[in-house]
Amino acid sequence: MDKDFTNRRRRELVTAAIFAALAALVPLFVKDVYVQNIMVLTLMYAALSQAWNILSGYCGQISLGHALYFGLGAYTTALLFMKFGVLPWFGMLAGGVISAVIAMALGYPCFRLGGHYFSIATIVIAEIALVLFQNWDWAGAALGIDIPIRHDSWVTFQFTRSKLPYFYFALVLACIAWLVTWWLEDSKWGYWWRAVKDNPSAAESLGIDVFNSKMGAAAVSAFLTAIGGSFYAQFVSYIDPESVMGFQFSLLMALPAVLGGIGTLWGPVLGAVILIPLTELTRSYIGGSGRGVDLIVYGLLIVLISLARPQGLVGLFSRSNPKKAVSR
Amino acid sequence: MTVLLETRGITQRFSGLVANSDVSISVGRGEIVGLIGPNGAGKSTLFNLIAGVYTPSEGSIWFDGEDVTRLPPAARCQRGIGRTFQVVKSFESMSVIDNVIVGALVRNTVMREARRKAHEVLEFTGLAARARVLASDLVPAEKRRLEVARALATEPKLLLLDEVLTGLTPTEAQTGVELVRRVRDTGITVLMVEHVMEIVMPLVDRAIVLDLGKVLVEGKPTEVVRDPKVITAYLGDRHAVGA
Repeated sequence: MDKDFTNRRRRELVTAAIFAALAALVPLFVKDVYVQNIMVLTLMYAALSQAWNILSGYCGQISLGHALYFGLGAYTTALLFMKFGVLPWFGMLAGGVISAVIAMALGYPCFRLGGHYFSIATIVIAEIALVLFQNWDWAGAALGIDIPIRHDSWVTFQFTRSKLPYFYFALVLACIAWLVTWWLEDSKWGYWWRAVKDNPSAAESLGIDVFNSKMGAAAVSAFLTAIGGSFYAQFVSYIDPESVMGFQFSLLMALPAVLGGIGTLWGPVLGAVILIPLTELTRSYIGGSGRGVDLIVYGLLIVLISLARPQGLVGLFSRSNPKKAVSR
Repeated sequence: MTVLLETRGITQRFSGLVANSDVSISVGRGEIVGLIGPNGAGKSTLFNLIAGVYTPSEGSIWFDGEDVTRLPPAARCQRGIGRTFQVVKSFESMSVIDNVIVGALVRNTVMREARRKAHEVLEFTGLAARARVLASDLVPAEKRRLEVARALATEPKLLLLDEVLTGLTPTEAQTGVELVRRVRDTGITVLMVEHVMEIVMPLVDRAIVLDLGKVLVEGKPTEVVRDPKVITAYLGDRHAVGA
């Protein structure tokens, strides 16, 4: 029995390693900058959605305000670099820590709210933060921050001539997010979170501190999201409140996991691989005039998925029984 | 026999309604005690007070020599009070073994040990063959057993069973009765709320009858069932005369 379980865990790890290795080879064959750009974004959203999945998928606390942590990561890195000359690597770490602390500070009142009220609170808080940043002169207010370009190097994490370094970093980020989730799945936290999601009062009766479990999930989730935000700031080298803290980011982090399979290990990756290229393509080919065609496309996708495969697309890959995907 | 659990003058009011009134009971180590009484007697309230879902309006609860009156459910579980729910509360999206692992994590922080403990408990409760099945796919009787298994995995000193035998077929109920006996044989004290008198009476060492929020009678099951007050409480005055 135990052997079964250990084997499955190992199989997951090997599968992930193979996928990562294959992904690393793709840029050797794909030289088109536009396509490379899409690949970077896909990997970034795979990582972000994996981070979102920890709080919302495993622990069941649906957040629609993760743009806040994404933006905090981006702003912390950019501000520290511009104002104090702190290298983005440290900025990244600082952004992660700040976001984790803020996530817990916000969780303190918000985790007392049940169900939908929690989700609504997350939207409102992220919107408030957006407005604050739009009016914060020291942080560039609505105009945003142009990250000063020094020279192409891993030290400053700036590359103007090639997208490849960003690609490989995004790949590492996606792998880290996946590994963290993989590790957490078979830890006491992973079990606590799923128990809290399924039935909080039963979880309590089994000695679980429900409130602290949620706090832990929020901290890990926010930390990883902020790392993604820091990366994004370096990648686009210009940020303003709307472009890193807008509501669409909260959606773009949630949707891949929902599409692929909420609360599953592979759901966010699978969802991002399908959704992000689709978004980018619809945006460049039929988007143009009005924003939102891309949103219509995957709104439609979500409706279809929730009707046909409520467990998400990972359900398609499990043998015979779709429920096996979420069971272990 | 030393006392494991004691309630001292517990009164619980819900906005004017008195559910428990000055209830003082005690449960000795190694006993199987039945908590019975007609509908609305306050059994569930008392049960939830002991499990920590509510804090009593008055009175105190002592467990293993410690005042636990104000402790939340999680802290009581850590001290050794395990419980089941009348309306089963399985973790539906998780497999049977994972449900039990959650319980085992209270005393085993290393995953491998928690997993081993969970397998052990599944063997003990006869659910081993269903370990990898999703909890939502279990039949009702199995779900009841999963409730017990999950609580046992927390290695309780006192196991609170809330109508685990109600609504089962006679064969299933008999398996349940045997399971409760085996639980007691491992040294765990059992306090069970039950409706079905015929099943509980041969099983328990002592019965406490609640009526209208108060302790009506307490004693050996054979004596309790013959007590006129109990018959009145269950069936009304008319039948008491004949007894």
